[in-house]
Amino acid sequence: MSGPQIARRALMGTALAAPFIRPAAAQGGDPYVIGTLFPMSGPNGEYGTLFTSGAALAIEHAAQDRMLRRPMRIQAEDTQALPQQGVIGMTKLVNVDKAHYVLVGFTAVSKAVAPVGDRAKTIMVNGGAVGPDLAGLSPYFWNVIPLAHLETQAFLPFLMQRNLKRIALVYVDDPLGDAILGLLRTELPKTGGELAGTFSVPRTAQQFGPVAARVRQVRADAVYVASFGAQQAQIIKGLRDNGIRQPIVGYSALSIASVTALPEAEGVIFTSQKFDYTGGSEITRRFATDFKAKHGSEPGAYNANYYNAVRLFALLAKDLEAQNTEVNGDSLRATLLRVREFDLVGGKGRFDDQGNMSADIQVNEIRGGRVVPIA
Amino acid sequence: MIAYAANLATIVAIFGILAATLNFVVGFAGIFSVAHAVFFGLGAYAGAQVALHIVPDALLACVVAAVVAGGLSLCLALPALRVRGEYFVAASLGLQMMATTLFSEAKAFTGGIGGLVAIPRPTLFGMEVSVLPLALVALALILFATALLQRGAFGRTLQALRDAESAAEALGKNVAAAKTLAMLFACAGAGIAGALFALHLSFVNVESFTMDQSVLVMAMVIIGGTGTLWGPVIGAIILLSLPAGLAFVPFIPATEVGAVQQIIYGLAMTLLMIFRPAGLVGDLSKGRATA
Repeated sequence: MSGPQIARRALMGTALAAPFIRPAAAQGGDPYVIGTLFPMSGPNGEYGTLFTSGAALAIEHAAQDRMLRRPMRIQAEDTQALPQQGVIGMTKLVNVDKAHYVLVGFTAVSKAVAPVGDRAKTIMVNGGAVGPDLAGLSPYFWNVIPLAHLETQAFLPFLMQRNLKRIALVYVDDPLGDAILGLLRTELPKTGGELAGTFSVPRTAQQFGPVAARVRQVRADAVYVASFGAQQAQIIKGLRDNGIRQPIVGYSALSIASVTALPEAEGVIFTSQKFDYTGGSEITRRFATDFKAKHGSEPGAYNANYYNAVRLFALLAKDLEAQNTEVNGDSLRATLLRVREFDLVGGKGRFDDQGNMSADIQVNEIRGGRVVPIA
Repeated sequence: MIAYAANLATIVAIFGILAATLNFVVGFAGIFSVAHAVFFGLGAYAGAQVALHIVPDALLACVVAAVVAGGLSLCLALPALRVRGEYFVAASLGLQMMATTLFSEAKAFTGGIGGLVAIPRPTLFGMEVSVLPLALVALALILFATALLQRGAFGRTLQALRDAESAAEALGKNVAAAKTLAMLFACAGAGIAGALFALHLSFVNVESFTMDQSVLVMAMVIIGGTGTLWGPVIGAIILLSLPAGLAFVPFIPATEVGAVQQIIYGLAMTLLMIFRPAGLVGDLSKGRATA
């Protein structure tokens, strides 16, 4: 083999290997690795950007406050909201990047990665998916978002107070929709309400004219939309385009830009975790001010949830550093169960034995493309 | 790093089985199915149910998955006997859509959209085992069987059907039996891949068995080289390890990681098909446009 051929092959080999060359193994001063398993491309890519911006701001704030001896850095993996991609990403985060803490979103991805994190004893934190079946997936799987059925439960007194007693439910046919259906069936009559009609829609459905026609027939006082993602905007538009004038209500998934920017979404009422950005705690006001300065828009619930997820890590790791204890899945979990209550954006976050957070719920209305708290 | 590489190798081996079995019907029999993910799914659910409710024995799960997926291959074989070419593509597309809906709705068997969780780790003769060696053995057996069938009378019959079905029938070849057996072999293989997938992930839901997955497996076959023995495996390695490799590129900002990776991935695929239109292992003289 001639000299130039060897040189060319060596060069090609080096170029191909370059992406895989990593710094030496983690040392004491190396950053804490916060892994993210979000959809960063595809139809759900909007969520990944929302989630990441909240987490990134929390890292900035922790660095400004010198909360930890070591910095934090985000290691992002694109799941495209698919379980298989999630498992590949989680395995990389755990085994290659040695992530200390992994942020996840989306129910199917969360369920798929939970066994991997459980075996590796790596903490996984969900701040986006609200399906009740996410509770108790693993001792190392926590939720920093009140699960949907808790939100709906807290919403019922408000609906009765507004005299919205006959509710038509348009729900996506999945565990989330089933949970809200079950809750409305049992709890609505107890508060003096009535489930006027239930309309299941497939996850992939995009046309809602026939559903709207059936909703109109039941003459409900309000229509509860239990879906998520871009489909919510299509449902709302489909209902309004087909003459449904009753109030449309729902839960925190409605706080995404593709819904709030929709003219037909004007007046939509939904619940979310309580975030008082003007009169709330100092942590909440600082988050809102800095987020607006950085991104030019008001923060949404998802921004705040993933901010809280990273802030929670910083608070737990700070506690462990003070005791000169290693920061790992077991020590983080033990600290969470010992402390239980944390100062987060929106107020106190309280965790149960399974790592599920409960928090105060507020009611919002979409007015002029903005989310305005009304109760 | 070893655990990550082993996990990736397991998924590559499972998709290698899927691509090799799809290649058997597409490349050798000329039956262009876009419903291979259906049989992958049937195998995954059958294997998961065995592991959850009977015993997590990998061999039993694979056998049951192969029987269920192979048995239900008649759903695809029946239209394959009546139509061919683009008409069969439409028929298999219909089956894929119907199956996706059934997977979402048959909650007792599939767990609906929520899927089946906490599938136990696989065992073999009572000992817990990793899925990687099982997947590699299954892939080797399927490639061996494919090579044997390809060289024998059955393989030549299939290739005759692919190239000129009417002529093959006129020469006395049993078209119905050949097509049905080809579908049976391919779908049973996809079922085995499904069972291994369920045991590896410990979780399955309908999102892994959609049209997108069928298209991905078809892309593995085409990029690797249709009608070749090793092409589909090479296609599976390329299509799964390229995005995994891109995840190591250090300079991409966290919020742009998905978009940049998808652009590089798409560009690489396009260039590959421009310069190797017959696939990486395919005949270089085939596939190029002629003036």
